[in-house]
Amino acid sequence: MKANKMIISWSWREIWSGQLWPVMVALTLIIACVVALSTLALRVEKVMTNQGKTLLAADLVLRSTNPISPSLINQAEEAGLTVSTQSRFQTMAFSDTKMQLVTVKSVESTYPLRGVLNLRDETEQIKHQVNPNELWVSARLLSILEAKVGETVAIGDAELTISGVIIDEPELAYNPFNSIPNLFIHSSNLEGTGAIQLGSRVRHRLFINGEPTTLAAFQSNYELQAGERWVDQNSESRAARLMDKAKQYLSLTILMVILMAAVTLILTCLHYVRNRSETVSMLKSMGSSRAWLRSWLTTQVLIMFVVAFVVGSSLGLLLEYLLRIPLVDILPKVLPSVGIQPFLFAIGVSLCIGLPALLIPLMRLLDAPAINVIQKQTVQYSKKSWWLLLLPITALVVFYGSNKLVWMVLAGLLILFIVLAGLSYGLLTLLAKLKWSAALSLALSRISRSPKNSMMQLAALSGSLMLVSLIWLVKSDLLGDWQQTLSPDAPNVFSINISPEQRASYLQDIDSLTLPRSDAFAIIRGRVTEINDIQTTDMAVYESAETRILRREVNFTWMDQLPEYNEVVAGQWSGEKTVSVEQNIADELGLKLGDKLTFEVNSQSFSATINSFRAVEWQSLKPNFVFIFSEDAIADLPATWMVSFRAEENQTDRVTQLARSYPTVTLLDLRTMANKIQSLLRQISWSLTGLATLGVMAGILLIFTLLRLSLNERKREITLYRTLGASKKRISHTLWAEYGLLGLSAGIVAAIAAEMILFALMRWGFELPAQLHPAMWFLLPLLAVLIVFASLSSVIKALLKPLR
Amino acid sequence: MSQSIISVENVTKSVISNDNQLSILKGISFNIMEGESIAIMGTSGAGKSTLMGLLAGLDQPTSGSITLLDSTISSMDDEQRAKIRSESIGFVFQNFLLIPSLTALQNVTLPMLLRGNEDQKNNELKAKALLEKVGLSGRETHLPTQLSGGEQQRVALARAFVTQPKILFADEPTGNLDQQTAQNIIELLFAMNTEQGTTLVLITHDAELAKRCQRTLIINDGQCQESV
Repeated sequence: MKANKMIISWSWREIWSGQLWPVMVALTLIIACVVALSTLALRVEKVMTNQGKTLLAADLVLRSTNPISPSLINQAEEAGLTVSTQSRFQTMAFSDTKMQLVTVKSVESTYPLRGVLNLRDETEQIKHQVNPNELWVSARLLSILEAKVGETVAIGDAELTISGVIIDEPELAYNPFNSIPNLFIHSSNLEGTGAIQLGSRVRHRLFINGEPTTLAAFQSNYELQAGERWVDQNSESRAARLMDKAKQYLSLTILMVILMAAVTLILTCLHYVRNRSETVSMLKSMGSSRAWLRSWLTTQVLIMFVVAFVVGSSLGLLLEYLLRIPLVDILPKVLPSVGIQPFLFAIGVSLCIGLPALLIPLMRLLDAPAINVIQKQTVQYSKKSWWLLLLPITALVVFYGSNKLVWMVLAGLLILFIVLAGLSYGLLTLLAKLKWSAALSLALSRISRSPKNSMMQLAALSGSLMLVSLIWLVKSDLLGDWQQTLSPDAPNVFSINISPEQRASYLQDIDSLTLPRSDAFAIIRGRVTEINDIQTTDMAVYESAETRILRREVNFTWMDQLPEYNEVVAGQWSGEKTVSVEQNIADELGLKLGDKLTFEVNSQSFSATINSFRAVEWQSLKPNFVFIFSEDAIADLPATWMVSFRAEENQTDRVTQLARSYPTVTLLDLRTMANKIQSLLRQISWSLTGLATLGVMAGILLIFTLLRLSLNERKREITLYRTLGASKKRISHTLWAEYGLLGLSAGIVAAIAAEMILFALMRWGFELPAQLHPAMWFLLPLLAVLIVFASLSSVIKALLKPLR
Repeated sequence: MSQSIISVENVTKSVISNDNQLSILKGISFNIMEGESIAIMGTSGAGKSTLMGLLAGLDQPTSGSITLLDSTISSMDDEQRAKIRSESIGFVFQNFLLIPSLTALQNVTLPMLLRGNEDQKNNELKAKALLEKVGLSGRETHLPTQLSGGEQQRVALARAFVTQPKILFADEPTGNLDQQTAQNIIELLFAMNTEQGTTLVLITHDAELAKRCQRTLIINDGQCQESV
């Protein structure tokens, strides 16, 4: 018993005095980072998911063109799910003096199941639910109808008194063409409107909330009828895409931090093995069996894992807490709990990396021959423990198998190391040929004397630097793209249904109100019916779940010139009876330049030849079209016109003035929604910035550790130089020069590699336009040199200590 | 008449160096009797250390046989030889080879631990007694870095004798020490050797030291001869 105690206390001291502590620190760092990042990621993901649900107003929505059957509602309730129904339709609303086409949402008092509904009544009190006989209208509708709260408005056949104004509502649709002023009534008043008749266009929604597993079971058990479809937060394209990218970024950051820590772990472990093979030989000479040595090493590994786990998880939780401080206003007051998942994940990750990183070199220690105590011999290490490498590889395949980004980063790393080997070799031979000061040439000779070692060091250093810059720049590029979506001068009001006669005066009025506007676009609604004379209904793509364009009406337009914000990616804008197609849709439909498309507008058929493909940024909020025709193709078809313009918060009166002057023109005021999306974006960008900062910190910390390790390895050599009489100044100059060179070249190479990988990541991973980052070209080498100098200055005193 | 404790028969050892086969030992035979002290001498690179490695079962001969305590160690595997070492052999090395992370006391108890002797209380009592004998009482809790070279070698002596080995191999035990300290260590080594009746195999360059042994073997050009 007591002997075991001695082995434990010995192992403990071995860890601290025997250079194993950096291994433990790296392991602790991995665990802390994984716990912190995955806890935060999990929380952020849950918050984001909740926000997505807010937009949906529920966890899951069944949309139907038929009334929701009571039996389905019963089934859902029996399964323990919470439900609420909604019917919506468009009808005219009449005040005493005005009328307006409105979207009526008839809801139950339980609405919404997710998200916030804020209704302000006459007494300025905020209510959160719609009760029988109430009528809540949007502020814009109130002004269009020139009505006041308390007055009566006719909705179809029903006469209802306005209860107040809608302040916030969930379910803001992001399609400008479908959005008409909203009002809420209670479902008990639905029948009175007389809107529900045979043939009337009423859309129904069943909102469902519940446990994810119950929801999934319910969803898969239900067979969708014609005209029905499920909508969950994944199918809500815009929010979903945003969240998808944020999630991708999270997993990327975690992976990078883990990679950096893993490299440190492996290097420190190899360092330990080099230093300990003599001890093992000695123990062997004294007759210790392999079994004994194995248990001795296992004890050390176990202690390291346990300590790293305890310290790492506590540190991770603390880190996560610190990280949340700047997010306190953004994150909900009550955070979703994350359970033990992050800890399990941390254990899994640390074992996957730690076991091979520790055990492969440690098992090699077992091969250190006993004879080495009296005679150094070259050792044949067994490769038996290499199977341990399968551990991280399997984990990688299982968890990241389908994640393109991750494989890109890994491939990038591999390429980096190859490029690096070539570059550093070239650089070193080149530099060595030139004449330098004494310190520099000594430094150069030191670097080129052990090219393998120097290259490894360079690779590790520039690898970490590259990862650090990737973490930061991917974040910036992502946010940049999102913010561009809602640039401060993006149009936020859309006018549609402008008649050809109104067009000129309408545009003139917008201009005289000094509201910046877009060009006017003709809008003609129609369908694609044939591709190269083949009926689209006969094509396989017609049924495809992703490609809905063939099954629905699309907005067509014609132009003299394509909008300058649409980049032509193939073909050119010319020819008679031609059409330009958005490139993604063209890909989905398998279209080629010169293909003939047949369209139908109001039962009238016409054809056009494809002359070009365009890249369209749908999120830009600028008017965009899948099909843009040449004037001769469709200009004689009956069209309405649309225009978009920008109105600030304090310019509502101008918008209202426009609405009054042109009562038949539908105004889509997206200002509220834009604010909503902006706040969502702000929250996500904060979280991402926080994560990126943590990733960068971890990277810098690891580079620091790496450099200190490498410097410590030089101790013996420096002592020798000192013994041979080299002055402190000479040695420190050489060190500064050597490590400065190392940092500088690592920084430069890292910048090149990061730029290449960023390009690939943006282009093929996040599917965003790639760009150059000139600032990084200076900042990264600078950062590298700074870290190198910080590490060096922290150890140089100890290195140059007078000899004993 | 005492028995032979080590018997070496026609042992050769060659290594591959730069693709050339290099013969270090070319057919050596001799016997060492129980309780004997024997010095192995020779010029640098003559093969002294190689021979000691083979005798102690740290390495395997290319051909020939070595019998140690009635076991043919030259045909044993690594683990079997390790077992014999832990049961019957002690070492003193030129560069002490103490474990830097263990205290003097723990370094001395280590061989007992490796032997499977887990009664640590008893182990420590024995170790303390030996440390006292080598003049280090009161330094039990010191780490090797806190001890001088001579003190470290004393700890190594205590460690070598703590399991009462039948054979003690000493590889230039005074090579790293100043003359005075070396003298003290040698006195101690021989005193303890005599007291425990251990067979001593001593590698040395020092002819004076070799003279204190009963026999001297000289290795030269891969052959060995008994000096008279």
